[in-house]
Amino acid sequence: MSKEMNQNKRNEAAKRRRKIKTAAQCILAAIVMIIVVFPIYWMLVSSVKSQEEILLAVPTLWPREFHFENYINVLNRGNFAKYYYNTIVMTAGILVSQVITGVFAAYGFSKGKFKGQNLIFLIVLGALMIPIQVTFIPIYIMMANWGMSDTFAGLILPVAVSPYFIFMLRQNFMAIDDSYIEAARIDGLGRVGIITKILAPMCKSALFTVILVTFTDGWNSYFWPKIIAMGEKRRVLTIGLAYLQNTFAGQETMNNHEVMAGAVLAVVPVIILFFIFQKYMLTGYSKAAMK
Amino acid sequence: MKERRMNPRKASALKDFICVVPALILIAIFTYYPILELFRISFTDWNLLNDTYKYVGVKNWKWLFAGSGTKYLWNSLRVTILYSIGELSVTLIGGMIFALIFNRMTRGFAAMRAVVFMPKYVAMSSAAVVFLWILNTDTGILNYILSIAGINAVDWLGNRHTALLSVLMVTGWRCIGYGMMVYLSAMMGISTDYYEAAALDGANAVQKFFKITLPMLSPTTLFLFVTTFLSSMKVFQSVDILTQGGPYRSTEVFVYNIYRYAMVDFRMDRASTVAIFFFFLLLIITVATMKISSNKVTYDS
Repeated sequence: MSKEMNQNKRNEAAKRRRKIKTAAQCILAAIVMIIVVFPIYWMLVSSVKSQEEILLAVPTLWPREFHFENYINVLNRGNFAKYYYNTIVMTAGILVSQVITGVFAAYGFSKGKFKGQNLIFLIVLGALMIPIQVTFIPIYIMMANWGMSDTFAGLILPVAVSPYFIFMLRQNFMAIDDSYIEAARIDGLGRVGIITKILAPMCKSALFTVILVTFTDGWNSYFWPKIIAMGEKRRVLTIGLAYLQNTFAGQETMNNHEVMAGAVLAVVPVIILFFIFQKYMLTGYSKAAMK
Repeated sequence: MKERRMNPRKASALKDFICVVPALILIAIFTYYPILELFRISFTDWNLLNDTYKYVGVKNWKWLFAGSGTKYLWNSLRVTILYSIGELSVTLIGGMIFALIFNRMTRGFAAMRAVVFMPKYVAMSSAAVVFLWILNTDTGILNYILSIAGINAVDWLGNRHTALLSVLMVTGWRCIGYGMMVYLSAMMGISTDYYEAAALDGANAVQKFFKITLPMLSPTTLFLFVTTFLSSMKVFQSVDILTQGGPYRSTEVFVYNIYRYAMVDFRMDRASTVAIFFFFLLLIITVATMKISSNKVTYDS
């Protein structure tokens, strides 16, 4: 009898301990999340404040009035409409060229057969070890000589191929059984047909994941656009934002509400994609890279 | 006509080869050729402001290793290593702690995980200007919060002791969720058998973590270490927006050093010399980490 009661008591205690643990974990997670979210919250809130409100000695956690015209100002006066156009064209160009060169190269390295295949593949992989932060000087001189500074070609060409893209896709193509390819060949499909009708659909989710990574990397790119597009003509959002920050150099606090509006404008497309395609984006950088 | 004369196997091989040609050409032009060019430029006195240049032998290399450039080379190397250590600690240790906190398979926790991971997709330039605003000496909210606690305003970006820390704040904010996500997906792969066996042996949570979780995650840790280390060596954007390498070069990381020589001083010769040094540095690190990863990993058998 007493033994049973003891047992019950012990179970109760364990249950209570587990409950406390769960509660502690929830509270801890909530605190951490608030800290992580705060910069995003602060960016959004500051972006709709007035200039007077942003300069208050005691910051207001919620805007007194909503000044959505900050966004209009940034788009027009701050030229962000143009930067948007430039960013979209550049990202689209990078995406299209990386997909085309990447898909064909991945096919050649996985399902093709030619002399020196492994050696050439190693050469492609070796490019992963040489980032543009090392090679930008000769590339810049070369592009300037070809008259490509401040052009889309200048922004896109040096990043038109991604060894990472080729590698990821090759891994996925290799996992597809050769019998599919043979069958398609017998049906009279050429290489382009095999890639577009067999390989790409079979690797749909992997392909989509790499495309999302390529898109965000292109959209958020900063280093090369800063070097090659020094003028205003082909300035992209990331660079435009840095310039907006320095517009009133020395008294930079003056336009922080507009800078925050610009920051929101620059991240909105990617964040929307993130929430729509969470499933792919959460694994995009991690799982894909671990294969 | 030519194709008809070729035997079919050769023609097929040629077509397969043509598939990789576009990628190969672009990589040759924009990756390998520039490396050779860098070597050549490092032996010239190429200043972008002058029309011509001539070859000057090893002058730039002397300047780099035993001249006025040496001091800045070591400074940028030191700053970059400090930055790397910071980013690695946040991604690995912070990521692991976050993974333990958010390791609960409910809907609410999944939503919170997504939110914590989101900063990874916030463009670094946006993140940097937001932190520039938060860290502002006079009107920033961080100094306001500190003032409530009775702490004097800190000049986060203008003080050489806090500038690098400020840069690391932005990096940490963007990377910690990534580390968490990578660790969590690896944790889910650990068989529960291990934990059940350990529970039977009377192991407590701490023992389980150090005896099972941590060793089982060592391939993940190594993967994170290698990729984070290599990408942290290339840091530029946050420094460019937050501090421009200052104050007193206390945040002048390696790439910023090269950038300054090339795009501010227009000294292509000096910039190329430093870039070559950087190239070899990355090469050594890559080869070394590859060697380590093939030796020292515990695999789940």
